[in-house]
Amino acid sequence: MPRQGIRDRVAIMGVGYLKFGESWEKNAEDLLIEAVYNAYNDAGIKDPQEEIDAGWVGIQYYFTGLSGASLADYIKLYGKPMTRVENFCASGMDAFRNAANAVAAGTVDIALATGVEKLMDEGGSGLPGFREFGHPVLPLPSAPAMFSLAATRSFHKWGWTKEDIGRVAVKNHANGVHHPMAHFRKAVSLEDVIRAPMISDPLGRLDCCAMSDGAAALIVTTPEIAESYAHANDYVLVKANAIAVETMTPWYKPSFTFTEFNSTMKAANLAYKEAGITNPSKEISFAEVHDCFTITELIDVQDLQFSKPGKAAEDLKNGRYDAQGEQPVNISGGLKCFGHPIGATGARMLVELTKQLQGRADGLQVKNPELGLAHNLGGAFTVAAVTILGKKE
Amino acid sequence: MVEIGIVRYGAYMPKYLLERKKIAEAWDFPSIPGGISVSNNDEDSITMAIEAGLDCLGDLNPSSVNGLFFASTTPPYTEKQCATVIANALDLRNDIISMDITDSTRGSSIAIARAYETIKSGNANLILVIAADTQKPMPESMFEYQYGDGAAAVLVGNSDVVLSIMGYSSTADNVIGPWKRSSDDYIRQFEVKHEALYGYNRNMLAAFNALFEKLKVDPGTIRKAALYATDPRAAAAIGKEIGFKSNAIEGSPFLEFGNTGNAFSLMILMLAIKRAKTDDLVAFGNYGDGADAFLLKVLDKNALLNLRKLSHGIVGYKNTMIPLKSYSSYLAKKKLLNTERYTRKASPVRTWRDEKFIYRLYGMRCKNCGTVQYPIFRGCIECGAKDNLEEVKMRRVGKIFTFTLDHLVGGVYYDTPVPRCVIDLEEGGRIFCDMTDVENPEQEVHIGMDVELTFRWVHPGANFHNYYWKCKPVRFSKNIEEDEE
Repeated sequence: MPRQGIRDRVAIMGVGYLKFGESWEKNAEDLLIEAVYNAYNDAGIKDPQEEIDAGWVGIQYYFTGLSGASLADYIKLYGKPMTRVENFCASGMDAFRNAANAVAAGTVDIALATGVEKLMDEGGSGLPGFREFGHPVLPLPSAPAMFSLAATRSFHKWGWTKEDIGRVAVKNHANGVHHPMAHFRKAVSLEDVIRAPMISDPLGRLDCCAMSDGAAALIVTTPEIAESYAHANDYVLVKANAIAVETMTPWYKPSFTFTEFNSTMKAANLAYKEAGITNPSKEISFAEVHDCFTITELIDVQDLQFSKPGKAAEDLKNGRYDAQGEQPVNISGGLKCFGHPIGATGARMLVELTKQLQGRADGLQVKNPELGLAHNLGGAFTVAAVTILGKKE
Repeated sequence: MVEIGIVRYGAYMPKYLLERKKIAEAWDFPSIPGGISVSNNDEDSITMAIEAGLDCLGDLNPSSVNGLFFASTTPPYTEKQCATVIANALDLRNDIISMDITDSTRGSSIAIARAYETIKSGNANLILVIAADTQKPMPESMFEYQYGDGAAAVLVGNSDVVLSIMGYSSTADNVIGPWKRSSDDYIRQFEVKHEALYGYNRNMLAAFNALFEKLKVDPGTIRKAALYATDPRAAAAIGKEIGFKSNAIEGSPFLEFGNTGNAFSLMILMLAIKRAKTDDLVAFGNYGDGADAFLLKVLDKNALLNLRKLSHGIVGYKNTMIPLKSYSSYLAKKKLLNTERYTRKASPVRTWRDEKFIYRLYGMRCKNCGTVQYPIFRGCIECGAKDNLEEVKMRRVGKIFTFTLDHLVGGVYYDTPVPRCVIDLEEGGRIFCDMTDVENPEQEVHIGMDVELTFRWVHPGANFHNYYWKCKPVRFSKNIEEDEE
């Protein structure tokens, strides 16, 4: 373990985001500047040029060549360290990690952590770019195909069914109905999910999260500085933040099970250790986990040790993860309802956690939460990020 | 005297057969019996040649081969030697003699003659001759009835010879037969009847007359005559004129699966020698802008019979084809419709650098933890040990560990899904491949399913032919011998 961790040394002093969805009339600049200014207002930042020391932005597309100017230029905040972070679906949470670490290191006082993605400009039929990178001939499955490999194997190993994964969509849509910022605010029935057109068997259309546009921003600082800003009384503390990167081609790894994601398990263990959590299924009040596909959420809650191996489907069916359940998961509606603007998602989850812990959730509110956990999983189960936030002590 | 001749043979037929009545129905043509073999949309003359080469080599060490001659009128490249692509996938050495013999259906016999001469001169011991063709006939033309797709291979050598080459004769003739200008998409022909008389008949007769005169052999003593012919009756007619006994002339498989171009004469030869006996004389004739006539002799009946256990050959392959449901699926498989195709960004340089695992299908065994893995990494995917590995050739058979049936191909939705499979290979290594040659993936594909790997065309990125391994359901369910008859 590092000599000095991040626990309780970084505070979230303000958050901002906007409605996720198909933002045809807005570009990435519109989305990012609105999210950032919402965060400024929330934090009580009056003069960004004076007060903000550095910024990070998580973006996955397009792949390279855009640099930190893709944040500096959009918000017109020049002459400061600005860095673009790209780490698959954990890009936004990695931007947050960088900002939080800079604060903890004492090299900056107030930092911006943002994420944005403008997917719909590339057309809505799947993530762009799969043709553009990677090896010339080694197969690279689409995102639904990757996660279907896990679903097929999980069905085989745990005996799960289309109904079992379908219940993830039903629960998350039931939650998302209440969230004004969600892309989709429509309940779906189990029958709807099962009868939806097949995308990558066994995952049908309603097992997949949507392509959406969105942005989110957080302002982080030290607890001391947070004391003199708008959320002096209810700023949120970073308890742990961890990222673990595994292979991008798990299909070449003979020991890879496809029923558990090593990246999540390792990131979670690092985060629990830092936060001093020994019983995550009891100590974590609620979680926003990466439900890019319904199967992903079932495996996530096992990898995060909320459910015992093989028991996620049963726990879900018994209501454990419902909004009113023992440990609400994706009470916002998750990626299923917000869609998945890649770089924005991790940052959006942290905005949700912050607002829940402050008791001002925009959608359904968790009752008296103590600790919230956010989790991203990107690539071919390659990159996992886990962040745990708690209330001001 | 050292005998030079055929040591082994092999063949490949694509999985699909289009019955000619489907063509007749599609265009309101008069119907002809039988069918034509149809390659899949990820097959071409290179991939089929590789399959035939694998069938021919069997358990032979590919390093023992000194040469690869590829014959085709439909080479996927007109500039770039296809033989080198094939040699790579067959894992042949780099110091071999290689050539493409193109532009005439006679290429396969020209290749055998060249192999014979090269070995006779002492410059090689073992040369693999592979012929493959995938003719693209113009839709709504009678050419659709004629051409089938397929490949055949013979290994020519100077030891373990089964069919000795006694001699050969050739003619070269600027015949008005079929042609394709370099700018043409489809094969053309001017006057079939004229070609039959002044092209086929005249050249076959001249070549065989010269051969028998040179070798002082009476054609009446020939036990089997394998004669190329584009028309199912032509071989019998010319055979009689040459002087073969009528029961010696092997019937044409033209009706059964169509004219497979350069592979056709070799397929007829394999069919002709099925029941040959020791010391039988076999005549082999091929045609295309002239004719080649060969005299072969069976050295050992049992050795010949044994070959049937070593490869599937045309006899095995032709019995495992399945009929296509519709003419439209034939159009799709032959890429006769101009639809947009999935492509990827490609770098031929990267493909070249990764030749060992892309073409030759090598992986590695980590010397630290023992894990067999694919492809070849610098570090072990399991234990991380750096540069502590040995390269190992992967087996081409395995079982599905997990899979998906993917309806999205390059962002386009298809009703029939592509199975994408994670496969645990026999003797170690895990690989990820698309599945091809599968009709009902929803019913057929399951965890634990046995599959075999096949080298296929995958996309046209960088305007280059990009090939890679796919998996397919195991084609031969029984052992080789039982597949016959």
